[in-house]
Amino acid sequence: MSTEQPLILGDLPSLSKLYVNAAATAARRRLLGFPAATALPQGSHEVRGVRADVANLTEYQHLIGETASDALPAGFIHALAFPVSMSVLNRDDFPLPLLGMIHLKNQVEQLRAVHFSEPLDVRSWADNMRGHRAGTQLDVVAEVRSSNDGALLWRGISTYLAKGVFLPGFDKAPEAAAPAEFRAPAPTAVWQLGVDTGRLYAAVSGDFNPIHLSLLSAKALGLPRSIAHGMYLASRALADVGSVKAEAFRWDVNFEAPVYLPARVALEIGTVHSSSGSWERSDYVAWSPRSGRRHFSGSVTAL
Amino acid sequence: MPAAAHSASAPHESPATQGTLRRAVVVGGNRIPFARTGGAYTKSSNQDMLTAALDGLIARFGLQEERIGEVAAGAVLKHSRDFNLTREAVLGSALSPETPAYDLQQACATGLETVLGLANKIKLGQIDSAIAGGVDSASDAPIAVSEGLREVLLDLHRAKSLPDRLKVLSRLRPKDLAPDAPNTGEPRTGLSMGEHQALTTAQWKISREAQDEIAFNSHHNLAAAYERGFFDDLVTPYRGLSRDSNLRPDTSMEKLATLKPVFGKGLGAEATMTAGNSTPLTDGASTVLLGSEEWADARGLPKLAVVVDGEAAAVDFVHGKDGLLMAPAFAVPRLLARNGLSFEDIDFFEIHEAFAGTVLSTLAAWEDEEFGRTRLGLDGSLGKIDRAKLNVNGSSLAAGHPFAATGGRIVASLAKMLHENGPVNGRPARGLISICAAGGQGVVAILEAYSAPEGR
Repeated sequence: MSTEQPLILGDLPSLSKLYVNAAATAARRRLLGFPAATALPQGSHEVRGVRADVANLTEYQHLIGETASDALPAGFIHALAFPVSMSVLNRDDFPLPLLGMIHLKNQVEQLRAVHFSEPLDVRSWADNMRGHRAGTQLDVVAEVRSSNDGALLWRGISTYLAKGVFLPGFDKAPEAAAPAEFRAPAPTAVWQLGVDTGRLYAAVSGDFNPIHLSLLSAKALGLPRSIAHGMYLASRALADVGSVKAEAFRWDVNFEAPVYLPARVALEIGTVHSSSGSWERSDYVAWSPRSGRRHFSGSVTAL
Repeated sequence: MPAAAHSASAPHESPATQGTLRRAVVVGGNRIPFARTGGAYTKSSNQDMLTAALDGLIARFGLQEERIGEVAAGAVLKHSRDFNLTREAVLGSALSPETPAYDLQQACATGLETVLGLANKIKLGQIDSAIAGGVDSASDAPIAVSEGLREVLLDLHRAKSLPDRLKVLSRLRPKDLAPDAPNTGEPRTGLSMGEHQALTTAQWKISREAQDEIAFNSHHNLAAAYERGFFDDLVTPYRGLSRDSNLRPDTSMEKLATLKPVFGKGLGAEATMTAGNSTPLTDGASTVLLGSEEWADARGLPKLAVVVDGEAAAVDFVHGKDGLLMAPAFAVPRLLARNGLSFEDIDFFEIHEAFAGTVLSTLAAWEDEEFGRTRLGLDGSLGKIDRAKLNVNGSSLAAGHPFAATGGRIVASLAKMLHENGPVNGRPARGLISICAAGGQGVVAILEAYSAPEGR
């Protein structure tokens, strides 16, 4: 990241306002033909002294299937940091259209358990813009530190794709080799996701992206139906891995076919134990039992 | 050596078949602070709270990924979806997922009964370790559909044709749409527990002042115990609470005297039971770690106390022969007799304060000559207990009473008291637990400070 001082925001930005603003920016750019910038904005945004709302935490834990403990689930911290990341993507000098960006993958390192009462400093910036065979991709990095001692507690890298956007100076990445054909294993679980799955997760995460909310709002953005939030799916998989995981762990997910709601999602979780019997890692993969297409896969690994 | 291999090679050494009993020790306990209903745990489910108490216990004694012999717990107010509450809590905890668990329900005696049942399994050699517990939420209480709606829904499911379904639906009346909330009324009498106790309190002529004094002592004893750090290794904070939220360290006899009676107002006698000398509805969970001596030793864990014996009793309260909460008055003398003990041999009395009137009515019955002769079959009264030994670190009036969680709270606290006390007249310190329960039941138990057996 750049060495510039972060832009300190007074409070967590409102995600709904950011989405409205993103829509307005998109319309302005389309109407007036504003040339978008061609480089990522330098510098980061930061909000200090962020505290989790305990009622919101409980609702999140119940929805995701996490144990309602006093520790913040790694996916909850992602949701806590998300408005700061969104404010970076919402800057006037941000070169890619925010609405319609596709979440390709997400990597999180949780370095220790975080108690809900702990004040947190959340910083985020955009990085590593590069070509993709279908457009332009970039990483949005978020770091969460303890406001008390500055210790790094959690780090997330979300990779997004702006589909169909090709910026000058960024080469189209070569066509990836055709992925090996996915053959669904025997499922260890099946999720029944109702049509309200997106609305329920929006209510606990604050991510009211219209593509997740309803048939009509998703259609307005060019999708046939609403889709589940990627981080909802990944967070449920993390919860399903369970509390065997160490206090410090790495949690990765690669998103493939979106989950159109309502849906049944089949899941396989495989766990690897060390020779002494302690948990080392769990790998998960999820697919549609109807079409056999893979929705996402990932792993949780002890650090 | 694995247990299976052990019993295969030397079947006669298995304690379960040989007739010798092992000792079941209390290693320690953990609970979350108890919260008044509608407080810090309003949104927490029974499973949330039981898991929180369990995870605190696991962290305290290093039981991560450990396979425990068996976990038993329960809740009194239970959602139908919580049919496997304890097993689900185990699966959500850091224990090995290969730990079996079962639910138990004996109203307010649930927690103590899980301790006794699991201790017996340890004594028999069936298991080496166990976690007993209980949880209750009055905030997140189940609400059911009315009986009318329930019957219609079930019949609708069975109806085969559209006309049949319409016929079933036509039975639905507006009143059927009103939900059923749980209440504390006894099914056979329609009286609430408080109204039942008010009858007993009046029968034993317990004064308002005596009840307020029990409440006053409970708050001051519990506050003092928190102040000196007694609960530091018995309680894990949860949802921002680090002490029981019902605790009023500054309460006084004057303040208690200002409260208006809430139960027994329709009786001829003066109403004496107030919100101050009755326990409030509370949310919370507790756990107790039990083990054989060998199991505790192998892990370097403490052995605070031994679960000596327990006894359950029930009374015929429906037609008023005895008060609803008077069963311990019968269980205790039977338990003492079986163990050849009298009140003089007990150093700590833990009598659950459902209501101050319950404690005082029970003590009055034990002190009563006629009750001793006619009801207990003794020569005279059972005896009088030294009040200085009663609920010395506070009880339910101050801590609150999340029904099934009370037994675990008392067992863990008493085990620690016995351990800290040291021997009495050359014998291990001894404690008596008495818990009354709905349905006219009561469960009581004796714990003894752990002392190494002769020759060890």
